[in-house]
Amino acid sequence: MNVTFSKMESKSRGFFILTATLGALSLAGFISFMISYIQGHQVLGSGNVIPWGMPIVLAIYLIGLSAGLHILAFFIHILGRKEWIPIIRMAVFMAIILIFGAMVSIALDLGRPEKFWRLFMFFYLNNMTSMFAINAIFYSCYLAAASIYLMTLFAGNERLSKIMGMVAFCWAMLTHGGTGLIFGLIYAREPWFSALKPFEFIMAALTSSLALLVVVMFVTFHFTCRQSRKELVISLGKLVAGFLLGLILLISVNELVHGYKPGREASIFMLAGPFSWQFWSFQIFLGEVIPLFILFHPRLGKTMKGVVIASALVVIGVFFERYYLIIPGLAYPQSYFPGKIEGIYGAVGSFPLTATEAVMSVGIFAFVGFLFILGLKHLELLPVDESGGQMPAPEKG
Amino acid sequence: MNRRTFIKVSVVTGAAVGASRMIGQPNALSALPLQKKAPHVDEEKWVATSCLNCPACCAIRVRIANDRAIKITGNPLSLTSEGKICPRAHIGLQVLYDPGRIYFPLKRTNREKGKGSDPKWTPLSWDQALGEMNQRLKSLRENDQPHKLLLFSGLNTASSRDMIARFAGAFGTPNLVSENGLDAETEKSGNWMADGHYGSTAYDLDHTNYILAFGADLLESSRPLSRFLRKWGKLRREKPNRTKVVVINPRYSLTAAKSDEWVPIHPGTDAALAMAIAHVILSENLHDAAYVNNRTAGFDAYKRLVLGQYSPEVVSKVTGISPESIKRIAREYAQTKPAIALRGKESIDWPGGSYASYAIFCLNALVGSIDVPGGIIYQETPRYKDMPRWVEDDIAGRGKARSALDFRGTDQFPLAEVVTNRIPESLLEGVPYPVEMAIGFNSNFNMSAPGAERWDRALKKLSYYVHISPFISEMALYADLVLPSTTYLEEWGYDHSPAGSGFAEVKIKQPVVLPQGDARSITDIIFDLSKRLKGPVAQSFLNMGDHSEGFVKFRTETLMPWKEWIGKGVWKGKEYEYKKEKRLFATPSKKFEFYSGNLKALLTKRGKRAKGDLDFLPHYQGVKFLGEKEKYPFILLPYKPLMAIENGSQNYPWAQEIFLPMQGIGWDTLVEMNSETAENLKLRDGSAVWVESPFQKIKARLKCSEGIHPQVVAIACGQGHYAYGKWQKGIGVNPNEIIGVDYDRLSGQAAFFNTRVKVYKA
Amino acid sequence: MPRWGMVIDLDKCVGCQACTTACKAENNVPHGSPEEQRLRREIYWNKVIAVTNGKYPQVSTELIPMPCMHCDHAPCVIVCPAKATYRREDGIIVQDFRRCIGCKYCIVACPYGARSFNSKEQEEKKYHRHDPPPDRKVWGPWPFPSRTHGVVEKCTFCFHRIDQGLREGKKIGKEVVPACVEDCPANARIFGDLDDPQSDVSRLLSSRGWIRLREELATKPKVYYLPG
Repeated sequence: MNVTFSKMESKSRGFFILTATLGALSLAGFISFMISYIQGHQVLGSGNVIPWGMPIVLAIYLIGLSAGLHILAFFIHILGRKEWIPIIRMAVFMAIILIFGAMVSIALDLGRPEKFWRLFMFFYLNNMTSMFAINAIFYSCYLAAASIYLMTLFAGNERLSKIMGMVAFCWAMLTHGGTGLIFGLIYAREPWFSALKPFEFIMAALTSSLALLVVVMFVTFHFTCRQSRKELVISLGKLVAGFLLGLILLISVNELVHGYKPGREASIFMLAGPFSWQFWSFQIFLGEVIPLFILFHPRLGKTMKGVVIASALVVIGVFFERYYLIIPGLAYPQSYFPGKIEGIYGAVGSFPLTATEAVMSVGIFAFVGFLFILGLKHLELLPVDESGGQMPAPEKG
Repeated sequence: MNRRTFIKVSVVTGAAVGASRMIGQPNALSALPLQKKAPHVDEEKWVATSCLNCPACCAIRVRIANDRAIKITGNPLSLTSEGKICPRAHIGLQVLYDPGRIYFPLKRTNREKGKGSDPKWTPLSWDQALGEMNQRLKSLRENDQPHKLLLFSGLNTASSRDMIARFAGAFGTPNLVSENGLDAETEKSGNWMADGHYGSTAYDLDHTNYILAFGADLLESSRPLSRFLRKWGKLRREKPNRTKVVVINPRYSLTAAKSDEWVPIHPGTDAALAMAIAHVILSENLHDAAYVNNRTAGFDAYKRLVLGQYSPEVVSKVTGISPESIKRIAREYAQTKPAIALRGKESIDWPGGSYASYAIFCLNALVGSIDVPGGIIYQETPRYKDMPRWVEDDIAGRGKARSALDFRGTDQFPLAEVVTNRIPESLLEGVPYPVEMAIGFNSNFNMSAPGAERWDRALKKLSYYVHISPFISEMALYADLVLPSTTYLEEWGYDHSPAGSGFAEVKIKQPVVLPQGDARSITDIIFDLSKRLKGPVAQSFLNMGDHSEGFVKFRTETLMPWKEWIGKGVWKGKEYEYKKEKRLFATPSKKFEFYSGNLKALLTKRGKRAKGDLDFLPHYQGVKFLGEKEKYPFILLPYKPLMAIENGSQNYPWAQEIFLPMQGIGWDTLVEMNSETAENLKLRDGSAVWVESPFQKIKARLKCSEGIHPQVVAIACGQGHYAYGKWQKGIGVNPNEIIGVDYDRLSGQAAFFNTRVKVYKA
Repeated sequence: MPRWGMVIDLDKCVGCQACTTACKAENNVPHGSPEEQRLRREIYWNKVIAVTNGKYPQVSTELIPMPCMHCDHAPCVIVCPAKATYRREDGIIVQDFRRCIGCKYCIVACPYGARSFNSKEQEEKKYHRHDPPPDRKVWGPWPFPSRTHGVVEKCTFCFHRIDQGLREGKKIGKEVVPACVEDCPANARIFGDLDDPQSDVSRLLSSRGWIRLREELATKPKVYYLPG
């Protein structure tokens, strides 16, 4: 199989409109960040009970989306599955901009963003017992590894690609496992404390990345007049279904164990508390039940449209999983003393979504999208088939 | 080694190093060195003065740095509270620097007076303001009508009160209305009937071993609060016998939460319970026979009544407390020596409250707890230097001979020294005569009195009202002229606590900072007014210092040298003398009277025929509620939480944000109702409800609570302000607005707790 | 090296909240507003919580003052990435505003809710006492005043008083104590060296049963409670 890659033709009007829109939204996001920087976090929805808001949700979501993509490297280089090669460049590039977007998102959430450099003072000014500090190492090394991997792909060096692919894959797993440990090691918060958190996160990453890849691939190919190969999409869909089942398994085991002791009340709060409708309708029903139904359906699961829709739902569902872990997870009132704690100290936390925060969140997504479009335009990421027949062929237009 | 191995090794090594640092001591981070000395502060000092956020007037020290008050703490020389202060004292910083204060005199330009209308204040100079007042005051005297001047006195220092009283006396008006009629006058009348002292009770808290508290929020609104807070710690864990505290209250107050036993009594039946306890004590011979036989009179009549009508079984039906509990508590009380039975507003601010107060007070005599260590003690008053007799001319004499506006001391309220809440009716009806001018000193009665709406109407009717306080309170909204007085941290004065320590203690007030803006102290204002009035009024204020500092110097000359006095801030009288025996009682028999000879003599003198001996004995009068039970099933219980600042304003964020600690919220008022009762009414916790009495209704959030009697609805006082203040305006509700008007007939005390209400969803 | 701790006697405590107020005055802790309380943004260095158990009429409410526990095994110290919160040798957990990047990980990790985030510029910036926590006065030019938005703050055991007292040779725990201890009217709070067997805190801890909050989390808090 001989695959070449090309830049995206970017002359159509749609391209300009899309780029302009994404650019404008990114700018709006930046402006709302400046507002929160100058006025303080009072313009956001966070408080002392739920200190982390949408930027952190986005951060871990984007990291997850990024990290899971490197499973393709594992398939290609270790398992020798050549059919993923056409999309590997696009996937790795997506991974790079997603992790970059995540780091930007974290920086935006800091109370004093101008001090973000302190997160990178490894071992010198950093406290290495802190998962934030460890993660800073992971994210930086992962970003570097993924970038080098992409460069080896551009160079066409198979042996180097294989090595860097595996390195990037390892860092990706460490990264997102580390992200999971940020939450899993906090024993004060009962909905979070669990040894399974890194694995839950990795599983969610794998699921959501591949699902995102399906959607992006389908949309991008459609708009750049390439034909998506049906078998590729279906097999990606099968991977998504598999990882989704794994994710469901891990979440169930986690909640089950918490349902014993300790943290039983926290588990009940998460599964049946005031916010649980979000859990059941978005994360489970929309994000897991319907996609699984589609993907395992004898007819629907074999159509490209079905897989794409299921993947889109998975992408949304995993977003809600991240959101539900953080915000309702933090809303669970801490029990300082046995009994009913009166008033504000025992009340479930609340999180209003302010306009500034919403615009900032949309802006981060738009920023990542903007970088993606720019990348497609200026880098040779999209596959072109020369031998014909086996790969998507460019059409006129 | 190839690249992959190298990478693997580096990664592993790095991880190992990191891990070792992680797994090692998490504490072993290097400490930053201690900081260097802070930048230069121009001037710093501690000034001794006293607080005035409630009538306790605790001695405080205030830290001043660069002319700004930055911290308030207690004065260890004050033994009333062993140098401790309650949280309200700390909030004094926010009282001093209240952003809503007024700093110069204001005159009303919008003639329409009302809750919603803007007075359209314009500033004027002190000279103009006082000149205007002087005109009117002068004309009153010239027309031989000095009695048509009405003076309201709210929370003021002792020195201000002395000045106001002297002014009333020299000017010639009998109408000096203090806030006492809204507080606990029934405590005084109950005491008077037994021992002849018309005053509040002091308790020897250092040594008592048992406290039986009837409706008394010892840790929230007692006076002096700081004393109770300090002594609580002492009584519980700083002496060999831990004092047992039993709280009798329909509401599970903070005090009840901290005490050993909470007895949820039917509201208003405390007198019956007290008599039943007496029944148990007497029928089981647990009383202090020696004391009763030698030091008391009227015991036989009392005993007959108690044993005849107040058995625990009968009283149990009235109070809702089981006979076993009554017997147990009575035995504990009588057998733990020394013991105190004390009462608070919630048990005695009722019609018939004087007798309830009397009944509870008698329990102390039964066990011999009068003027002994650990029992009831009698507050010594400090001996200031006497002011010269004021100059009273005929005009003033005639004025003061007139009957007072509030019908105090008349057949309506025979024992009353003041009937504060009667004033609106007198003003509205113009009886016994119309009023021409009124001056309010730090008063805010249309917020703190029951039936607030009639106060508003009455104030509206006043033709000329001058209000003097540091801020525009709700009462000031009806003023024609507002004079900015200083807060207590900016003025000279002297104070002594209400009854508490037994021994006398005087605290100084001196300015910790210069008066802010153009504010002046009440003492100085009165000196100024008197000078302008000339004649006998002016003469009455001569030779007493001529201004506030001089006045304080004059009055406290007898205490200690001035330099020492302003340095220390506290003067303490001699040690308390117990067992004063023969010199103690101001009663016909010179003993403690279970059958009130004082009251009998008074009523006989008036030619009143008593219905029988019952009138002179402590007894339970039965409860008369305002509103029928069918229509208004619940009984309203307004209570004062600790964080309610009593100066007429609540514009203090430090107080507001922790306003209700038992409910864990601030910035609001809650309607507290029994959770089962609420469930029966299908009302959800946190929902908005209307609380409606036969008179008015208010809306607030519901709190379903386990700590309240099923038929009682409790609402905290202190919120519901609407006059000024970013931190209080429109926050919460004021339960006084829906309370009906009723009195304890003997003392004129306003009844707060006998209004019935209904509660429904908003 | 002393190891500073606090004992709170819940039997003596009268639930008056003078500790909360005195701390606010001493450290110029910003006050909140109705809006901020609704959004749970108010800053408390010390708070008093009410915990209810039981049903009418057998109801009981405990009032429990909670300062920062200054845990010996503090979760906040473990998770701070910038070494902005650290344990001093004498056991006090210090918050360095200069280093704090406002990531709020410590607020998430604190099991006692002792930490608050400054979400806006406060009107009163300077501390009422003139020896504020570590900031630029110690470290040279750095563009942050004594209090700025975007950082986390918490109870400091009034170490400014302790350090000043040590410089002046006073006895800590007897002559010099944190503001909440000094201004507790019931004398329910006692401060001192946990490692000194002669101190008041050691004496109290040996004479009565004590508990610590959320003991099962093994944070080793240094604020002990003597139940009523």
